[in-house]
Amino acid sequence: MHLLDFDKHSRRSFLRRSGQLALSGTALPFALNLAAMGEAAAFDATDYKALVCVFFYGGNDYANTVVTYDDPGYNQYSTIRGGGAGQTAGGIAIAKSALGATLLNPTTPLPGGRQYALHPAMTGMANLFNTGKAAVQLNVGPLVAPLTKAQYLGSDRTTYPLPPKLFSHNDQQSIWQSSSPEGSTVGWGGKIGDLALSGNSTSLFTCINVTGNAVLLSGDSALSYQVSTNGAVAINGVKNNVYGSSAVKTALATLIQQPRAHTLENEYNKVTARAIGAEAQISTSLAASTVSTVFPTGNSLGDQLKLVARLIGARNGLGAKRQVFLVSIGGFDLHDNLIAQHPALLGKVSDAMTAFYNATVELGVANKVTAFTASDFGRTLASNGDGSDHGWGSHHFMVGGAVKGAAFYGTAPPVSVANTASAQDQWHVGQGRLLPTTAVDQYAATMASWFGVADSELSGILPNLRRFGTAAGRPDYPTNLGFMA
Amino acid sequence: MRVTEIMDCELAVGDADADSAHANAAKLSTALAASALVAACGGGGGGGATTGTAPGTGTTTPAASPGLTYTTAATDEEASRFLLQAQFSASDAEIASVRTKGYATWLREQMATPAGTTGFTWLDQRGYGTISATTNYYDNSYPGDYMLWNQLMTSGDAVRKRMALALSEFFVVSLSGLDFSWRSHAIAAWWDMLSTNAFGNYRNLLQDVTLNPAMGYYLNVKGNLKENVATNRAPDENYGREVMQLFTLGLYQLNLDGSVKLDANGIKLETYTQIDITNIARVFTGWDFDQTQNVNTLEPVNNRNVPNTVFTRLPMRLTPANHSTLASTFFGATVPANTDGVAALKIALDTLFNHPNVGPFFGKQMIQRLVTSNPSPAYVARVASVFNNNGAGVRGDLQAMFAAVLLDDEARAPAGLTQPGFGKLREPIVRLVQWGRTFGINSARGSWKIGDLSNPATQLGQSPLRSPSVFNFFRPGYVPPSTALSASQTPAPEFQLVNESSVGGYLNAMQTTIRNGIFVNAPDLPQSTSNTTNGYDITAAYTAELALVLDTAALVKRLNVLLCAGQMSAANQILIVNALNGTVVTSTSADGVKRDRVAAAVLLVMASSEYLIQK
Repeated sequence: MHLLDFDKHSRRSFLRRSGQLALSGTALPFALNLAAMGEAAAFDATDYKALVCVFFYGGNDYANTVVTYDDPGYNQYSTIRGGGAGQTAGGIAIAKSALGATLLNPTTPLPGGRQYALHPAMTGMANLFNTGKAAVQLNVGPLVAPLTKAQYLGSDRTTYPLPPKLFSHNDQQSIWQSSSPEGSTVGWGGKIGDLALSGNSTSLFTCINVTGNAVLLSGDSALSYQVSTNGAVAINGVKNNVYGSSAVKTALATLIQQPRAHTLENEYNKVTARAIGAEAQISTSLAASTVSTVFPTGNSLGDQLKLVARLIGARNGLGAKRQVFLVSIGGFDLHDNLIAQHPALLGKVSDAMTAFYNATVELGVANKVTAFTASDFGRTLASNGDGSDHGWGSHHFMVGGAVKGAAFYGTAPPVSVANTASAQDQWHVGQGRLLPTTAVDQYAATMASWFGVADSELSGILPNLRRFGTAAGRPDYPTNLGFMA
Repeated sequence: MRVTEIMDCELAVGDADADSAHANAAKLSTALAASALVAACGGGGGGGATTGTAPGTGTTTPAASPGLTYTTAATDEEASRFLLQAQFSASDAEIASVRTKGYATWLREQMATPAGTTGFTWLDQRGYGTISATTNYYDNSYPGDYMLWNQLMTSGDAVRKRMALALSEFFVVSLSGLDFSWRSHAIAAWWDMLSTNAFGNYRNLLQDVTLNPAMGYYLNVKGNLKENVATNRAPDENYGREVMQLFTLGLYQLNLDGSVKLDANGIKLETYTQIDITNIARVFTGWDFDQTQNVNTLEPVNNRNVPNTVFTRLPMRLTPANHSTLASTFFGATVPANTDGVAALKIALDTLFNHPNVGPFFGKQMIQRLVTSNPSPAYVARVASVFNNNGAGVRGDLQAMFAAVLLDDEARAPAGLTQPGFGKLREPIVRLVQWGRTFGINSARGSWKIGDLSNPATQLGQSPLRSPSVFNFFRPGYVPPSTALSASQTPAPEFQLVNESSVGGYLNAMQTTIRNGIFVNAPDLPQSTSNTTNGYDITAAYTAELALVLDTAALVKRLNVLLCAGQMSAANQILIVNALNGTVVTSTSADGVKRDRVAAAVLLVMASSEYLIQK
């Protein structure tokens, strides 16, 4: 069942109208309040789904996150990363003995005896995997089209285009989120949100960002609405008298929301007007929404995900049926200090995402909420002495009751940094920078389909998807990776 | 004073037949760059005294010098507009001075103003160089925040500091990313280095940036080791990549006007490949902190040897054995195998410095920081031309380039005031510094404890040298989604900080700060602690504003000139005046009531989008 398979043309025209409304300025605090307009789509009271993107800023080191564990693979990993004798720690390699507690036990073993363990700090995530609530997508990254190493090294960019600006932080962040480099203004989370706007009574609450500005959640019509980890920020000066003066309060409210002829002035005031318009509803709804699940403290990602859980708990008050959220954690650009600093980061990820999953269980929406990870890029498998450098493909996590867990998806890459013609050297482009065997578009399409996006609408959300899947003659790169129930 | 008049005493530089951009370079060189020129002319005091008409007549040179038409401020508003681009704030005296001297002379004098107390010295004067287990300043970054705010708020050489702040958003090191002993001193040394080089040459700046210890730590040149084939170790690529992507070239080949070069198929031409990065990374191996002057002091409580601070301001030192001996080639240049590390660095930095991208890439971003988010290609070309040649054959003259940014017609002409997209969002750091400098900020106990204000929900959402990454607080190409700007792909970099949380966080923070000042814990002590002296140690005097408290129209008019360069509409001035008049204030009103009125006026102005968007 697809939530959006009612008449496409009327919905398109409806979206167009609602988009105009969204740009119509400050007169309507909830310009897209579709329920008030009597055009709410027909959902039943229990229908709800949410996607939560957990973005690791800086480019996560895949090799020490999902660590190759079978002896042949581990020994190669250890050699490449400077491990000690007898599978002990050394260089930037983790000791094999430290990985036993986080060994991943998939329902169906990987071919060739390949095994993986998670970083020792990721006990919560390993438990989610082994209990079927989480899965791992192997070697996923931006691709314009399926690509081999020979094609990558070749010069025919017309037939075998590359994603622009590989290995560049800001551009690859943008490409993961929007299929385009820096400067992009529409992301795939926002485009999914575009399709869901009509289902939510307050469309502004369709795409909610609990971290800094990012393109993922901006659609053609959908806005990326930002909240802090404490909820919406109330502007004191429009709620209460300013220095004792109601006249100043009134003047302030006017000045900061008035339409302006100057583009930049007008856009700034529009954000403020939107913030003021939404704040009361967010604050009221959140006040009634608590979770008793314990979230980790001193963990900003945990704070963000707790707020997401509370917003999901407040979904009825917010009139939300379909939501896309973005949270993030930074600090992954570990050219140095990988061994010293990576554990704390991954521990925070694991603790926060585990608590978040538990909160969705508490809220009764575990099967309706899917969290997934993303990052600028993977890193080199090779060591630079104390860390690793910018790469391409990486391994990522999908967590939730609707995820077909305890499983690996995609292809386990050979553990190699050599540049020979042998088969094991064909899936990296130097120093173990993985050449992705799964595209971000496939990864996103799989979750979008679960969310309710019709197959016919996927290519409008993910522009490269048309080069993948059976219809493109590439069944080896399916448009649905199968990890969602 | 007219630019052409100064040219009279310059040696023949520039070619009469050159295109206007090159001709401009020559004029700029004569107009400003050169304090040497001033000396040669026997000037240096009065600027316009060299020849010709008296300064301050308000006349402008006719179109004979395209790009540099406007030489004097005809009004206080025009002078304020210039001051708010060239530094942080405008005072009555500075406005008068600009009007008297003309833009170029005033700017030249400011550029010649000696740097005040360095950040490094200030830290030591405040005792932050002390080795003690109870204060352990060497493990803390808050002294760095205090130092930076103090520098921005109080330094006499405000133009230099404004340029240094702009440079700090191009060459980014974040105090938040420094985790080693004496990090506050290290960020001070970095800041002082930017200040020192702000009016020097880009090539020297690039060298100092590359070998600075804070940068070395931040982008991993520090401790970067040559390749080791046996262990599969490769040189760290971080600095090699970012020095090209962010500090010199950018991703795409540029024309002089900043537009991207395309190949025959319309594809953007890239400046470098991953292979170039892997190659140039070898150049940046073998360097580490210079600890040859370390003197350790035993901190007895933790039995810890703490070095002195000097290593944080010494250029990093080469250990030849750790430097790659492989050849490296990058876009045409070659460092031969077995080249000495210092010589290799020179080849690499010379190559980067001389790449034609640097002028438009760097110049455009400096325009964005100081004047407008979307300069015309012609404006970029004029500035880039001056970067390429200051008129005396010198490439990378920053004094000339910053002058070219600030004196250009596009910055000065009234046209910008009526174009619906001209200007930029004033960034939060600059707003707070402008507030402090305009209204006489002072720290009663000299604490200057203004900390990290990065929290967007409760503070400014920005704090100096606290970028979340080397990609700065905002990207030059950031286009705010879901706006009128997104359809036209028009960048508005500072809007990367704008969202539904940060707009309110700013207003709430300013509402308290403007009225009461900044609350400080233990202002009597340098360290971070709390005691009975806690209070609003850092406050604004509002002397001139309180003198106008009974005349709200005059008060608002003054704020409009000083804060907005006269860019607030009459309608909004009236709106504010009427709101202020809603509370009766008389000469016998309590001081607090008077202060409420002044604070309300300042808050309303600083909340308005006509203030926030600097045009």
